[in-house]
Amino acid sequence: MTTTTSAPERKVTVPRNYDLVAWKWMRYSGILLIPLAWLHVLIQDVLVGVHQIDLDYVTMRWANMSWRIYTASLLAFAFAHGMNGFRQVLLDYIHGERARRFVSWLLLIAWIVITAIGAIGIIGGVRQP
Amino acid sequence: MASIKTILNGYVRYKGREGQMSFLLHRITGLGTLLFLTIHILDTSTVFFFPELYNHGIAIYRTTLFGIGEMILIFCVIYHGVNGLRIALFDRYPHLWTIENARKWSLSTLGLAILLWLPVLVIMSRNILMHNFGLFGG
Repeated sequence: MTTTTSAPERKVTVPRNYDLVAWKWMRYSGILLIPLAWLHVLIQDVLVGVHQIDLDYVTMRWANMSWRIYTASLLAFAFAHGMNGFRQVLLDYIHGERARRFVSWLLLIAWIVITAIGAIGIIGGVRQP
Repeated sequence: MASIKTILNGYVRYKGREGQMSFLLHRITGLGTLLFLTIHILDTSTVFFFPELYNHGIAIYRTTLFGIGEMILIFCVIYHGVNGLRIALFDRYPHLWTIENARKWSLSTLGLAILLWLPVLVIMSRNILMHNFGLFGG
């Protein structure tokens, strides 16, 4: 008995549709998020810590445009990655064509609305109360 | 929609070993991170919309309960990244996709994630003990 374990080579034609774009987005954003999200967590949660963070801290940090762009790219990449991942999880359990469409649209709208709220916050910056 | 009971039953009964463990962990850590990320986008946006509320939100994050949640969140972010990198690497070099490799690497990614998490756990526990319990000269 042979002990080969690798599957035979197979060719798959991938349809060029939205899901291909979404799949590629997950890969590229995922790889990018490893330095981006890990550094964010390392600085804010571990090195600085939530006990040092307040409105003044955000004001100080966002005074630097580079950190604002950094925050904006986290919003763009991490939240889109997460929402599309959530969609993939849900579509594993939802099989009706109409329900799938409904869920996809609902998540798309939620993604746009929450991203817009976050983006306005970053662009508008800290307003002193 | 498949019933929740059927889904959970399948997860418990299916003996997929290490591969299934990493599949489930990848999902749970991803969904957990998304849940916090959604809240985090909204709480951060209060700096513009309701600046007088921001410090109240942060006060909740400073409690011990949320501090423990924060440590779990960081494990989620680390594991999801390490395991995602493993999947991307296997897809890039498909000859790696053998059952033995998948088992071995699944455990390695979990081990590496825990290893990266341990120093975080020490530093953040110290922060909580210092600020919430007055230890270490807090």
